[in-house]
Amino acid sequence: MTNLLTNARFAGVFIMLLLSGCARNPVLLQSTYQALPPHAEISSVPFYAQTEYQCGPATLAMVLNHQGVDTNVEQLIPQVFLPGRDGSVQPEMLATVRRHERLAFPIRGTMDVLLNHLAAGDPVVVMQNLSLPIYPMWHYAVAIGYDLPNETLILRSGEIERHSMSFSRFDATWARTEHWGFVVTEPGTLPTGITARNALEAISAYEESHGPRATLSSWQAFIEHHPGNAMGQFALGNSLYADQQPDNARKAFERATELDENMGAAWLNLGLLLLQNDAPEEAREALTQAASLEGSWQGKARLALDSLNND
Amino acid sequence: MKTLRAYLSTLLIAALVITSLPVAAASTAPQSMDLVTTQSALAADHAGADRERISEILARADVQDQLVKQGVDLDEVEARVAALSDAEAQQMAEQLEQLPAGAGVVGALFAVFIILLVTDILGLTDVYPFTR
Repeated sequence: MTNLLTNARFAGVFIMLLLSGCARNPVLLQSTYQALPPHAEISSVPFYAQTEYQCGPATLAMVLNHQGVDTNVEQLIPQVFLPGRDGSVQPEMLATVRRHERLAFPIRGTMDVLLNHLAAGDPVVVMQNLSLPIYPMWHYAVAIGYDLPNETLILRSGEIERHSMSFSRFDATWARTEHWGFVVTEPGTLPTGITARNALEAISAYEESHGPRATLSSWQAFIEHHPGNAMGQFALGNSLYADQQPDNARKAFERATELDENMGAAWLNLGLLLLQNDAPEEAREALTQAASLEGSWQGKARLALDSLNND
Repeated sequence: MKTLRAYLSTLLIAALVITSLPVAAASTAPQSMDLVTTQSALAADHAGADRERISEILARADVQDQLVKQGVDLDEVEARVAALSDAEAQQMAEQLEQLPAGAGVVGALFAVFIILLVTDILGLTDVYPFTR
């Protein structure tokens, strides 16, 4: 009898859990309904059905082709698929985009932000867990549009060219990957709605493999969006320097030090640049600032200052 | 693997110390003063620089090993490791086993099938599109 009661209690708890899962809060802010057009669909995104476990390569082929990159699923499989895991992992999804000379910007993970990207014409690669956490089925798909009155999201997913899915079901599967997704752009464009931090990291990662000259246009786009970001001005300075524009680089470094007077790296680069351009007095000022700030660059700044004083 | 790692760490620390010695010794001689890169400025934003650098060098070697083990073509391994940013390489090295690998819907056991069928109908999962 007690056994039966315990079992019944467990069943009750299980059902309550499921029900509370259904009775979730509305997934979208009221302001999103007012601000966005009721329908959006980027139908120019091509479709490649996934075979076996190849949703990663198929997804990348769709967004890269949409961005004008000449590639295909067969070429992408050896670049991103992990045979031992029967799938593709997130860091390599981003890295493979960069191999094809496009930038991958992780988005802020909310439904409102996702729909905003779609309304702006940027398809979004999303990662879902289609199943439950105890028996995960990880999946990549491309969100290409939405229908606000019907509350559905439209995806290129798996073997389905136009998979429409209710916002709440999608959000449940998306939440299990902590709302992971990214948009792909050409260098020199920055999608609206990307946080400054995510943009900095994405452009910097591109710079690691393609060099600072290749990111000049992206840093310029970043500064247009975030003129008050000291790290952005600093990064722009480095790209301008690599592009042999020392005067503009100097202005960018100066701007960075104005925005954040405690940024040792910016003072140091400004000083080193002035030193190279035969402006020892101004260099001394900048290097003195850099040497006075505690941190990673203090030692190098002191060295430069010493060698300047010894000349 | 653990011993190899410890061995490599020692070696790398020694190498970094030795390579930094001439710079310290020759501080009066004219030297190439390269500008600080955006990547190291961003990394310094996160954590201490030198230790970070050592673990990043190790991370790439680690990832290379792991990719080979996971069956990636040898011709591709190097290019794939090179494509990763330092932060991504570190993430891969530390948690490749736990990272979710997107694959799509694969066959499920019968018991699981029933549960997922129910959760599909409840709108919590999206395994069997025929439920709608």
